[in-house]
Amino acid sequence: MTLNSLNVVLFGVILLLAVGFYGLLITRNLIKIVLVLQVLVKAVVIALVLAGKQSGNLGLGQSIAATVIVADTVVAVVALALAVQVRRHTGTLDLSKISTLRG
Amino acid sequence: MAGILIGLVIGLPWLGALVLWQTRDENPRLQHTLAVAFSIAAGVASLALIPFASAETAISIPMGHYFGELTFTADGLAVALTAIACVIGSLAVIFSVDYMQGEEQLSRYYAFVLLFIGAMAGLVLSGNLLFMFFFWEITALCSYALISFYNDDPKAVAGGIKALIITQVGGVGLLAGALTTYAVLGSYQVSDLLAKAETMPAGLLTLIAFGFLIAAAAKSAQFPFHTWLPDAMEAPTPISALIHAATMVNAGVYLLARFYPAFQHVAGWTLAVTIVGLVSALITAFMALTATDLKRALAYSTVSQLGYMVYAIGVGGVFASQFHLLSHAVFKALLFLSAGAVIHSAGTRDMRRMGALGKQMPFVRNVFILGALALAGLPILNGFWSKELILEAGLSEGPLWAYVGMLLGAGMTAFYTLRMTWIVFFGEARESLHVHDAGKAMKVSLGLLALGTLTTWLLAGPFGEMLDETLPFHSIHNLNLSELANEIFTAPATYVALAMVALGLAIFWLFRKQATAKSEAWMDILSRESFGFDWLNGQVAERTVQFASVLQKTQTGVLSWNVVGILGALLAVLIFLVWSA
Amino acid sequence: MIEILYYLLLSLGAAFCAYRAMISRHLLPSALYLACVSALSTVILYMLGAYEVAVIELSVGAGLVTVLLVYALSVVGDDSFDPASIIPKPLAFLLVAAIAVMVGWMAYPLASQPAVNGEVLLADVLWKHRALDVWVQVALIFSGVLGVLGLLSEKVQREEMPKHENQTAVENEAISIQMEQEIPV
Repeated sequence: MTLNSLNVVLFGVILLLAVGFYGLLITRNLIKIVLVLQVLVKAVVIALVLAGKQSGNLGLGQSIAATVIVADTVVAVVALALAVQVRRHTGTLDLSKISTLRG
Repeated sequence: MAGILIGLVIGLPWLGALVLWQTRDENPRLQHTLAVAFSIAAGVASLALIPFASAETAISIPMGHYFGELTFTADGLAVALTAIACVIGSLAVIFSVDYMQGEEQLSRYYAFVLLFIGAMAGLVLSGNLLFMFFFWEITALCSYALISFYNDDPKAVAGGIKALIITQVGGVGLLAGALTTYAVLGSYQVSDLLAKAETMPAGLLTLIAFGFLIAAAAKSAQFPFHTWLPDAMEAPTPISALIHAATMVNAGVYLLARFYPAFQHVAGWTLAVTIVGLVSALITAFMALTATDLKRALAYSTVSQLGYMVYAIGVGGVFASQFHLLSHAVFKALLFLSAGAVIHSAGTRDMRRMGALGKQMPFVRNVFILGALALAGLPILNGFWSKELILEAGLSEGPLWAYVGMLLGAGMTAFYTLRMTWIVFFGEARESLHVHDAGKAMKVSLGLLALGTLTTWLLAGPFGEMLDETLPFHSIHNLNLSELANEIFTAPATYVALAMVALGLAIFWLFRKQATAKSEAWMDILSRESFGFDWLNGQVAERTVQFASVLQKTQTGVLSWNVVGILGALLAVLIFLVWSA
Repeated sequence: MIEILYYLLLSLGAAFCAYRAMISRHLLPSALYLACVSALSTVILYMLGAYEVAVIELSVGAGLVTVLLVYALSVVGDDSFDPASIIPKPLAFLLVAAIAVMVGWMAYPLASQPAVNGEVLLADVLWKHRALDVWVQVALIFSGVLGVLGLLSEKVQREEMPKHENQTAVENEAISIQMEQEIPV
């Protein structure tokens, strides 16, 4: 088991992923789900840059990371707008209440 | 120069679409004027592009080495189809000025028409398979949106959805072919596929060839996908003329013609193409024999004529098919638009309620007859020349049984064409419909198309020459006009075909009472059910829905459980990867 | 060696902030903890040499997204509720732990190898090799803006409302006329 800077960062990435996944599983608040998704994407961005660094093609890793950030921000914006609308129309942000709504 | 013109041909209609999308519906005059201006500008640009036809890549925009280049090539095949799309597009828009008078939501209508014209030009000019797919899907989207233009009519909405779903099946075929090409050659360039087809593994080339055949059949409404086109007739008539007769449905034929050199040695491909063309031509001609809806009858005849073009490609007559495509685009647009003038003023599409309309609308009657004669294939109209070329190619290169079938189709075409004309314009009036002749804008576009029907066959020589010079991979059988006339008038096949046409006309004349009466005969019932293909479509849709409703039980609608499913699948994939490593 | 220590602290700090963001009862502290996660990961990115992405991450992740979250909270109100999870927590924990172990198992050998040297400029990759990505991003941002405009605007409803009012007004008038006619009878 050797410790170098890369696998320490990998450890951090896995921790962030784990927290993100766990949060995604147990949260019921719609806005908080958007928030947890952001945590997941942070992990992915670091992982992409890490992979770029490791394989000697940091430019490629960075460019894909930038694409992911853009895509994710658009997702966050639209998801938040949806959440706001859901709150306006149903009066709640609780997932289990929203999913039992019909029609 | 060619690059600028290509930019104009695609960019002008799209700019027009954007502008019209922003216009407000309170000012229809402005909308009509803008749409006509933009479409005519695109038409002029497309005509100006013709002299610049060459096999060289005209525009090449680098998209990075992972995606190749976005290229546009203005070769003979592409400029001809671009000109058809833009010129007939502008005529349809001019016609719409009268036809759509007083309709609401014109900005939506014109924006989609212009978006379609630009996308169609892009589709044929594109030299990159990925972008060809992109434009292909835009045309499908516009077709759907315009079929369902009257979106408070459930039939129009259903027809639009049907067209969208069926053409999407074809789109998947095109995408699969494009991705396979990239996987093998590492390039999306059309020219690479044509140049290196022989070096590709036979199995993968077969996959690409049949993927493209499925795409073409779905787009051109060929057997077994022919059921969407008749239902698409709920669209406003200028749309039927432009998209569902003159341009978009030709995209499938274009695709087959474009890649014919790459696929002609694939085992069974040309035979499959021939059979698809033959079966489509025959069964839809049969359905047209008893159709009572004027636009549906024309739609059946469109599928049938597209069948002729597909058949021509199957027997190797690429020039014959493209020449018939040109003729058909002109005379079928003429027929549809004059039918539109009739429907617009009579207020019905049911031929059983029409009759003896010829006296009240002489101009429309005259141009309709001209188009009908071209469709039946009578000399010296453009339909005659191209159909004879196809039949000749079929006789000399293709199997004899297919040729006999196509001859029979020519006879049926003559029969249903005369029947249609007779019921609408002659005979006795069945109902007292108050009709009036076409408006000024309608007359302009009808007149120009009638002129085209009379004269486009004169272009055969230059058209063949252009195709020959600018398509390095195709071997075009190039004839100038006098050689063409000589070949057609000395070949016995011509007289056989003409005899068949005469027979069709004679049979109609003898049995015109029965043929125009409403009948419940077996063939009538058979046609109304589209030979069971509608039932088949329904079954496929129903099974899909049933399967989906079974799967629906796994959807709780609770996000947390869905995430459990996603993570569980991720875990399974990870375990599999570690296991196999 | 000191570098490894930095990385370790930053990673642990980011994970801790993420954890606090997840368990916080109120949404506003959650948003602020998320900004912390973003700031810490920016430092990691910077130390790895990804200067450009670090800048984007800081301005977008820590700046824009936080502002958006706070704005959304101000619109809907920060109602603090923390209902019990739908999924049994042990199941969630086991699933996540298993995935973390598997990912670590797979990626550890790769990350333990010394980094390959080689430098490709981001600008080259972005504008030359992956030019299509840039176009797709432009389209994505455009559609995102359109989506938000469609979602947040109440224009459609406002346009329809007066129409209904007019209709009802006309109907009311018709009814009142009817009534007037009926009354004398």
